[in-house]
Amino acid sequence: MSMSGRSGSLPWWGWGVAALACLGLALALRGWLTALMSLHMLVQIPLLVLAGLFAEQAWHAGRNRDPAGRPRPAWSYNEYGIPGLLLVSLVGAGWMIPKALDDALTDWRVAAFKYLGLPVCGWVLRASLRRSNVVIKLFFLGNFCWMSAIVGMIYLDQPIRLCNAYLQDDQDWSGRGLIALAIVLPSCWLLAELKPVWRFLNR
Amino acid sequence: MRWILALVLALAAGTGALYGLTGGFTVLTAEAARRQDVARHPRAIPATEVLAEDGGVLDLRQDLERDGRVAIVNFFYTRCMALCLAQGSLTERLQQAIQARGLQDRIRLISISFDARDKAPNLIRYAARMGADSRIWQFMSFAQPAQRDAVLDLFGITVVPAPLGEFEHNAAFHVVSPDGRLVRIFDLDDPGLALSAAEALAAAGRGGQP
Repeated sequence: MSMSGRSGSLPWWGWGVAALACLGLALALRGWLTALMSLHMLVQIPLLVLAGLFAEQAWHAGRNRDPAGRPRPAWSYNEYGIPGLLLVSLVGAGWMIPKALDDALTDWRVAAFKYLGLPVCGWVLRASLRRSNVVIKLFFLGNFCWMSAIVGMIYLDQPIRLCNAYLQDDQDWSGRGLIALAIVLPSCWLLAELKPVWRFLNR
Repeated sequence: MRWILALVLALAAGTGALYGLTGGFTVLTAEAARRQDVARHPRAIPATEVLAEDGGVLDLRQDLERDGRVAIVNFFYTRCMALCLAQGSLTERLQQAIQARGLQDRIRLISISFDARDKAPNLIRYAARMGADSRIWQFMSFAQPAQRDAVLDLFGITVVPAPLGEFEHNAAFHVVSPDGRLVRIFDLDDPGLALSAAEALAAAGRGGQP
């Protein structure tokens, strides 16, 4: 989410390798990554999103290898990336629900939604960020972060286990992780987008 | 205005995903989901061999039918140092309520251990510790691991091994009819509700067989 609109510094195949590495890690280590709630929420799910995100980056970089490039389409279904960011926000909210984490272990439909849907979300996220501007990014990022922080605090506060498959201790760590995410993510974004944010503030 | 169409589609898809993940915006945890699902669709318990306190092996389903009383069932293991003790003392209070209200010929309590280490002597010791009246409150342990897993799955009990040889598990009061169906699940905080549901079920059963 912290990447800006400009093309990355890696060649297209570099992004492709990164995407495959994320997907490969998330799939190959799935037994280990889903054994703990904190790893499931804060490592495996982000890896799946990153896989889609890097894949889009690879696709975009590959398409733009030819300097003439293709003309930008006159219209887009994903104007300013708002529909895409809305979808990603809602799916992101869904994966903060304890039942989703439990069901991903026991219900193949939810597992399929996780392993297929999250990379698609990553792709949509990157494509939407490419089309959006700093105000829209700030809106969606802000929303995601307060949601993550509140859910994290709820997890930390609960005296009972929210997931049947996970231990109480682990739930607390997930809560701390979500709160940390709400701090780290906007900080990284600010560092990556310092210039556009600065420009916007000094307009 | 294609992007408005896209926005509506994205909203619909995202809301649809949330709808699917929360059982139609009704539950946030798997525990709440199983309680709601059982209340809507009672589940028939499969044939299950259990060890009784006297060391004998009996079929849980046949035992429920033979006994004829509505059972309030919960799951535990005798080495438990946390949740089961709380669950046990709440069940003991239920036993007192059953005695006080003279419901012992209509309602009984069953605690089933999911720990393969628990045999008859462990169950007897635990029953004594809990002050169980053997006419009202029986203790059992699963005889076969495959059947244990099937029953835990049916009841929706997830047992997670925890450090120091302990287990974490979800606990609740499960109201089971004499014909071997899991009818309702109540929170440990609501023993009164479990008792009145069992009473209503027993009364309905009597109405059916005058």
